[in-house]
Amino acid sequence: MARALWPSRMDDCATEKAIRKPSRFPGSRVTINRAPAAPPDMGNNKKKSKHSSNGHRGGGGAPVRPVERSSSGGNHSKKGKGSSNLRTYSIPDFRLEHPDFTVHQSTDKNGHVRYEVTGDLDAAVPPIRESKCLDQQQAVQIYRYMMLNRKMEMALENLYKQGKVVGGVYFGLGQEACSCASAYALDKDDWFAPMIRNQGSLLVRGFRARDTMMQYMAKADSPTHGRDGTSHFGDIEKRNMVSPISMLGDLIPVMSGVALGARLQGRNIAVMTYIGDGGQSTGVTYEGINFAAVQNLGLVLIVESNEWAYSTPSEMQYRCKDLAERAVGYGIPGVIVDGTDACQVYDAAREAVERAHRGEGPTLIEAKMMRMKGHAIHDSASYVPRPLFDFWKKRDPIARFENYLVCKKKWLTGKENAELVAEVERVIEEEREVAVNSPMPTPESAEGGVYCENGCHEIKPKYGRPKAKKGTAAYKETEAAVHLK
Amino acid sequence: MQLTYLEAIRQGIWEEMERDPTVFCLGEDIGIYGGAFKVTDGFIDRFGPERVIDTPIAESAIVGAAFGASLTGMRPVAEFQFMDFIPCAMNQISNMVAKTHYLWGAPAPLVLRGPSGGYVHGGPFHSQNPEMWFVHNPGLKVICPATPYDAKGLIKAAIRDNNPCVFFEHKYLYRRIKGEVPTDDYVVPIGKAQVAREGKDLSIITYAAMVHIAFEAAEILSEEGIDLEILDLRTVSPLDRDAIVATVKKTNKVIILHEHSRTGGLAGEITAIINEEAFDDLDGPIVRIAGLDSAIPFSPPQEHHYLPKLEDVVRESRRLKAY
Ligand SMILES: Cc1ncc(C[n+]2csc(CCOP(=O)(O)OP(=O)(O)O)c2C)c(N)n1
Ligand SMILES: [Mg+2]
Repeated sequence: MARALWPSRMDDCATEKAIRKPSRFPGSRVTINRAPAAPPDMGNNKKKSKHSSNGHRGGGGAPVRPVERSSSGGNHSKKGKGSSNLRTYSIPDFRLEHPDFTVHQSTDKNGHVRYEVTGDLDAAVPPIRESKCLDQQQAVQIYRYMMLNRKMEMALENLYKQGKVVGGVYFGLGQEACSCASAYALDKDDWFAPMIRNQGSLLVRGFRARDTMMQYMAKADSPTHGRDGTSHFGDIEKRNMVSPISMLGDLIPVMSGVALGARLQGRNIAVMTYIGDGGQSTGVTYEGINFAAVQNLGLVLIVESNEWAYSTPSEMQYRCKDLAERAVGYGIPGVIVDGTDACQVYDAAREAVERAHRGEGPTLIEAKMMRMKGHAIHDSASYVPRPLFDFWKKRDPIARFENYLVCKKKWLTGKENAELVAEVERVIEEEREVAVNSPMPTPESAEGGVYCENGCHEIKPKYGRPKAKKGTAAYKETEAAVHLK
Repeated sequence: MQLTYLEAIRQGIWEEMERDPTVFCLGEDIGIYGGAFKVTDGFIDRFGPERVIDTPIAESAIVGAAFGASLTGMRPVAEFQFMDFIPCAMNQISNMVAKTHYLWGAPAPLVLRGPSGGYVHGGPFHSQNPEMWFVHNPGLKVICPATPYDAKGLIKAAIRDNNPCVFFEHKYLYRRIKGEVPTDDYVVPIGKAQVAREGKDLSIITYAAMVHIAFEAAEILSEEGIDLEILDLRTVSPLDRDAIVATVKKTNKVIILHEHSRTGGLAGEITAIINEEAFDDLDGPIVRIAGLDSAIPFSPPQEHHYLPKLEDVVRESRRLKAY
């Protein structure tokens, strides 16, 4: 596989003529760190571990920061380390367009408050960016997953209308490229944890449409056997998936911990999860990313900037221009991609995954896109200014990718494309059939399973017994002063 | 005026905002959207975005900021989209807000409110009844109304109270029940239970949505000549010990009914109070009916099995009556 490089490298950005917004740091200059990637914190299986679990920054395992004047060594966070006090950062931006509008609250003379959008909503639709690493087969596979994702959600919408769904339905409409191409960048041994809209990621990771469908219908054969719905399920044995909970942000430290556990067993893995423009406002988001940064863990955090958090526009969630800028504060790389462009999402995610495999620490990827429906099926999204939907509708991730594959790359003929779509529809229909015919759980199945007991699980290190290093010190009773007597 | 439970709460908050400029609301999606359940629908158009504040998704910040504002003499009303999310702010509530008056003499006149409860197939993260976590935090007042009248009177009382109040709105009741609510200004006292139905054979001590199940059971049982008394606690902390003791002394038989998990639940505390103050008045064992000791499951048959049911109340009443 070709080495994907951040497009922040001078040559790349220069050719793309990426517009970069002026730095927000006074007196700063946007320059690019061309320092080579630092050696991994911990070798892969072959190498002996050199990792010290704490305070290992600056040297060996420090993340590559896309920052600073290279003369100072490329590390901005360590005081006195570099020769320059000048802080310069850059946020690599893969996008081929930079939508320029804002949403704000306005009050009319009767006191009626609503949201308005102002800015350039007529910009031309950008092309799909050429991927640095996807080959034909991979690109077509991602496209198929995106199609499955969308058709599955259409089937869910119909099941809801037929009264077969318990509760609501959540959609990832307009976000299929983000879900599918990101998950596709993971290797088999990597871990991931979806959020509610990442129903496409589940398909990529080998779950079947029936799993999600049965969750929504609260069926006995659903992955949680009726105990929970939506994408709230996991599988730590076969598919390395952690189940989300509703509380936003809580997965981030958990995934950091998964990477920590694997590393203690001698493996650098990538752990991918997602957070919204709204969810990232939670305190636990900070804690989780910072933990991964300090411990140099292979977290790949996809920040799904989709303009809205329920009814709240992202303008009311944070004040920096782009959430990728947050990476600067954590001391980790942050990049921006167009979340409607599968190639951009894949390239950025793959690079982050490879960094994680090399033990180089976390990466924050901000994917810009739009939630194309309401928060859930009950919500008509009447608070969203219509022009915003019109703008993003033209940027449909599937239609554009299809056009790219069929017309630009000629990787799919029209006929092959039609066959692919028909096959996906067939699969979804079969899956729907199975899901609908699954029975409801028995009332008594509500009981049991609160504790792990009677041999229901055997717990053992997934990647091998940790090789515990021991010093020469022997156990002795402590005489140290204590906080409270 | 006949109002739904939801409308009664809306009116209560609205009237307090009209009456007192120090009252303001904050929470997620409460402004233009009017809140996930529409409790603050239209408030922003009346009171403006300054007093109806859409916050980032940050429960700790919401509680912390509400407390901070209360220190300046404001009376914040903070909404949780679901009470299931309130643990995200637990440290602020438990270690900051609840302890402040006892430790350094600062009152915290704030209200933390939101929907709780099951029976709507919300699944394990949208159906919980976490009131006991707050009962175990001295300094907080924990309020769980069952009727539109009480909901309005208690939300107004909570806003006027000088202490932090955690106000649980049962989401099953929001639009399902209606009741008479006076148009005049009134409050319902916090910490006072109410005999919702007079009876002589046995007492059901309960609150919130369970009051309505108790009423249904009472109707069925009255045909068999079993006369239930229903004590609606209305406030679960501080508990109205006098009212609990009075009903035990009257009927001598007690069922305690609550929706949250049995172990460590409110029934244990009430049993201890009865033990301390009315042991000699008991003519039978104290019976508890409660949710199972697990998370609350999503699928309707499982959720039904998990939650207390009419059949449970009828069955246990008959059993206890026989003593
Ligand atoms: C801690 C927490 N608070 C509140 C909620 C209720 N809630 C669920 S989704 C949501 C909006 C999420 O927006 P965002 O993170 O941008 O994700 P999106 O829906 O746009 O994918 C809210 C407020 C929650 N799930 N977790
Ligand atoms: Mg969002």
